[in-house]
Amino acid sequence: MTGPGLPDDSTRALLADPAGTLACGADVDELIEQVADGRAAQLTEHQRECPHCQAALREFSLIWAPVRMVAAEPVRLPAAVRSAVLRQIRKLTADVWYTLEMADGGAIRIAARVVARIARDAARQVPGVRVVFGRSTESRIAGLAEAATLQHRHPHAAAGVLGRTAVVDLALAAEYGQNLDTVARAVQDRAIADLRSQAGLKDITVNVTIDDVVD
Amino acid sequence: MAGGKGVTAADAEDAYLVKRAREGYVEAYAELVDRHGQLAYRVALRLLGNHHDAEDVAQEALVQAWQQLPGFHGDSAYSTWLYRIVTHLALNRIRGARPADSLDLLGDVHRSREEPVLDVERDLTVDAVTAAVTALPAPQRVAIVLHHFEGLPNEEVARITGSSVAAVRSHLYRGRRALTRTLADWR
Repeated sequence: MTGPGLPDDSTRALLADPAGTLACGADVDELIEQVADGRAAQLTEHQRECPHCQAALREFSLIWAPVRMVAAEPVRLPAAVRSAVLRQIRKLTADVWYTLEMADGGAIRIAARVVARIARDAARQVPGVRVVFGRSTESRIAGLAEAATLQHRHPHAAAGVLGRTAVVDLALAAEYGQNLDTVARAVQDRAIADLRSQAGLKDITVNVTIDDVVD
Repeated sequence: MAGGKGVTAADAEDAYLVKRAREGYVEAYAELVDRHGQLAYRVALRLLGNHHDAEDVAQEALVQAWQQLPGFHGDSAYSTWLYRIVTHLALNRIRGARPADSLDLLGDVHRSREEPVLDVERDLTVDAVTAAVTALPAPQRVAIVLHHFEGLPNEEVARITGSSVAAVRSHLYRGRRALTRTLADWR
């Protein structure tokens, strides 16, 4: 196939010469750059008068047309790749259940099970608490709190953590005869204080369920 | 073409999503994948020339970007940072030199079934451009893809590749010349 300006052989010869210039002295690489950057129609003063430059620009425009066509066509991320990426990330997140804090020196991560343990140990210090363990509560309020950490919470985990936010569920058996409301509030206060001081968490919800009393 | 822009409203939205993703919100990262996943795939496809490798590299890049979010301090646009990750991974794959199983810079999903003749012509064109691009030495290929396919200015290509603007210009000159020669022969 022959272009409208230059015959194929002369085009090849021109392109084969590393220091190629047109008969008018114009630099071949600069003309190709002009075409490739989409500026073929923006002729310089010289190019407006020069048949060599105009022929070369037309020829290079034809050669570059397929590149411009391919570059302009949209390419979408295959849905399977998107799903695989998010599945992999959710798995990474689910496997570790870390709190995540970005400090100047890098990321600080504390596993959710550690968060749960700190809360449990704090609760054990509270007078009137006999036995305590972490578990999921089912109240509507706990459900709302859990929803905020849903992606970061194992269905049966005692703690859901997200960034520097944690939702901890504690179930406990209190000592018979205690004011249960006072015990529960003391457990919340103590657990929150310890999680703040030991794990650096900021927003903490501690759900307390007293589901038994023992003598 | 994409890119080649300064700080935009989209960059500000990206910065918000990056911040939330860094805090651990997977859904914020999912939104970033929706916004930029195609960039990762497109660049991988153009650099590697086949869907199989492009899917692998795009997936790896998007997972790696999540894992490396703590190291991203927002001193460049998120897209620039992702370009860097995917280009790096694609270069590793190129150095591994696995043969391509097909030649196509574009996705199958975009092929029209209604115009079979045009489809064949288009496929031939795409194959020719893909073959010409993937025949370039890696540095020229990266410069050509990022500048001429992605529309990024030379300065941003230099930032992404970690080289100088002068080096990018040099790769572009040689890459353009080689591409022009190959495609002139193809016609």
